[in-house]
Amino acid sequence: MSVARPARCLLSRGLAATASKAGVAAPAPRYRASFHSSAQLAKRKPRFKSIRAEEIGLTTPEKIDEFAKEYFPQYSPEELEILRQRYTPEQMAALEAGEASIDPKDLTIQGRIRKDPYRPPYFDDFSKILPIVDKQPRTHPQPQEKVKFMSPEEHADDLEKLIESLIPKDVNFDGMKEEEIEKLLNEKVNLDIAGAKYFDEHPTLVGNDEPSNSAVAPGLGKNLRGVEGMYKQPVDPEDHGLDNEGVWQELKRKSGLTVKDILSINRTTKVLVTRWVSNQTRLGKVQRTWVLAIAGNQNGRLGIGEAKSVEANVAIKKAKQLAILNMKPIPRYESRTIFGSVEAKVGATIVKLDSRPPGFGLRASHRLFEIFRAVGIHDIAAKMPRGRNPMNSVKACMQALLSQRDPNEIAIGRGKKLVDVRSVYYNGKNVTYNMSTVSKDIEISQNKR
Amino acid sequence: MGVVSVVNMASHLQNASRARLGLTSVPHTKYNLKLALALHRTGFVSFVTRGGSRPPDPATIDTFEPEPLTTANAAHQRLWLGLKYTDGVPVLGSISPITTSKRPITANLRALGLLARGFDASHQRGLNIGECMFVTTDRGTLEIREAVERKVGGLLLCRAGP
Repeated sequence: MSVARPARCLLSRGLAATASKAGVAAPAPRYRASFHSSAQLAKRKPRFKSIRAEEIGLTTPEKIDEFAKEYFPQYSPEELEILRQRYTPEQMAALEAGEASIDPKDLTIQGRIRKDPYRPPYFDDFSKILPIVDKQPRTHPQPQEKVKFMSPEEHADDLEKLIESLIPKDVNFDGMKEEEIEKLLNEKVNLDIAGAKYFDEHPTLVGNDEPSNSAVAPGLGKNLRGVEGMYKQPVDPEDHGLDNEGVWQELKRKSGLTVKDILSINRTTKVLVTRWVSNQTRLGKVQRTWVLAIAGNQNGRLGIGEAKSVEANVAIKKAKQLAILNMKPIPRYESRTIFGSVEAKVGATIVKLDSRPPGFGLRASHRLFEIFRAVGIHDIAAKMPRGRNPMNSVKACMQALLSQRDPNEIAIGRGKKLVDVRSVYYNGKNVTYNMSTVSKDIEISQNKR
Repeated sequence: MGVVSVVNMASHLQNASRARLGLTSVPHTKYNLKLALALHRTGFVSFVTRGGSRPPDPATIDTFEPEPLTTANAAHQRLWLGLKYTDGVPVLGSISPITTSKRPITANLRALGLLARGFDASHQRGLNIGECMFVTTDRGTLEIREAVERKVGGLLLCRAGP
């Protein structure tokens, strides 16, 4: 019961309406309970009865004519006379044609005359230009589509014109001696400034210094004769066609590496750490991707590159290029391990590296493993006794590798001869453990068999 | 005083090196003298000389003659040591005492051999590259490699390195 009641309350008005439409003789009593607690307002009525224009008689042809005559009058003969004095006959003809083409009746019925306080201060006066309401006129002709550089003759004419323009107009040079003329010119004309202006600002294109509709200087044409096809990226024959697009040219110039080397290093660059960082501004959080990449030539050079960008791909590309650019030589013992034990600390992360005998392998965490692989270290033990922050571990590892002491420097400092016992044991030969040499030895021994 | 003076000497030398001093002085004791001479043999210091409270001139150190030792001036004698640097980096980068008067640490020949080859022994880390350890034995205060050569063990005084 209590559930059904509200539904009846809500539906009662609608049900009553349908019932009355259906033509039932006795309309059901409406449920008049209001949904609001406040008193109902009386039904609003307009203060004035709405009367149609037809009922007043405003749409009759006579009334329309009367309105049009009042608001859109024809030019009187006196006004036409004044206009004729001001405009050429062609312009007058155009004016009259324009007047004739617009029916005042159309203006009356279709047009709307603004009477609001924000209307433009003119009705049909287009001689004035309001900067906010109207579009700016383009008084100057469009710049030339096909521009070209001056020929030597045009250059000469241009220079002649310029020099003529420098000669002061208000002086009569007749009957003056050459010295006097020279003195006068020195006084009146500042040749240094004129010369500087000529070299700095003077256009070298034909007709390119005309006044323009835009404050921006007109751009060069696309297909300039004599220039077309000459400004291609120069392809260095030393690259052997590896970089015809010029992608690696800047890195090549900065790093001094060949494109072949850069490409081979780039193949082994690795992104080791990625972080999503955000800058809290008053406009909100600006999210960016921070990337740390390493690059190594697997032969004793290692670099770390860090880059940040809104686009992750851009950050990766930048970080890899910076890593290649930042490559530094890392001292290695026998091209396979490090000299002694080193330790470096960045933040709370300590990286301890220990040299190990041949065949030991890389016993290190995955990021450090990648670093050692990139730099070409084959035997090492790494430990991080404290923090293992990804970024700090990579940086600390780099620091540790760079903090190795050169035995030669120690020997020079002490004035003593340091002897590499391993090298002495192996009869002074520098034993290398490159995989390539090992496999070669195996090959040779197999052939002997 | 005994071994305490060696402990103080080690700390003082490390401080002086890090402060990039050209020369410094330590008390003139038997332990200190022996260690200073061992450091000089190993090449960690450029010169060792006895002197008064005023330092000798480093420019003419080759011809410097200390005043004769008498009972009157013995108390004022000091050992003057010249410190070495290569490209602004001290040759004696770190020197830390091992034996203290409270806890003497000895090492026999086997332990010395292990330490010299870089393995841990006698509660000590093995020597790293360019590191030295100084042992006082009945054949005098020796660098660890000298001690191994002479097949003697002894008391581990300190370790020094770049």
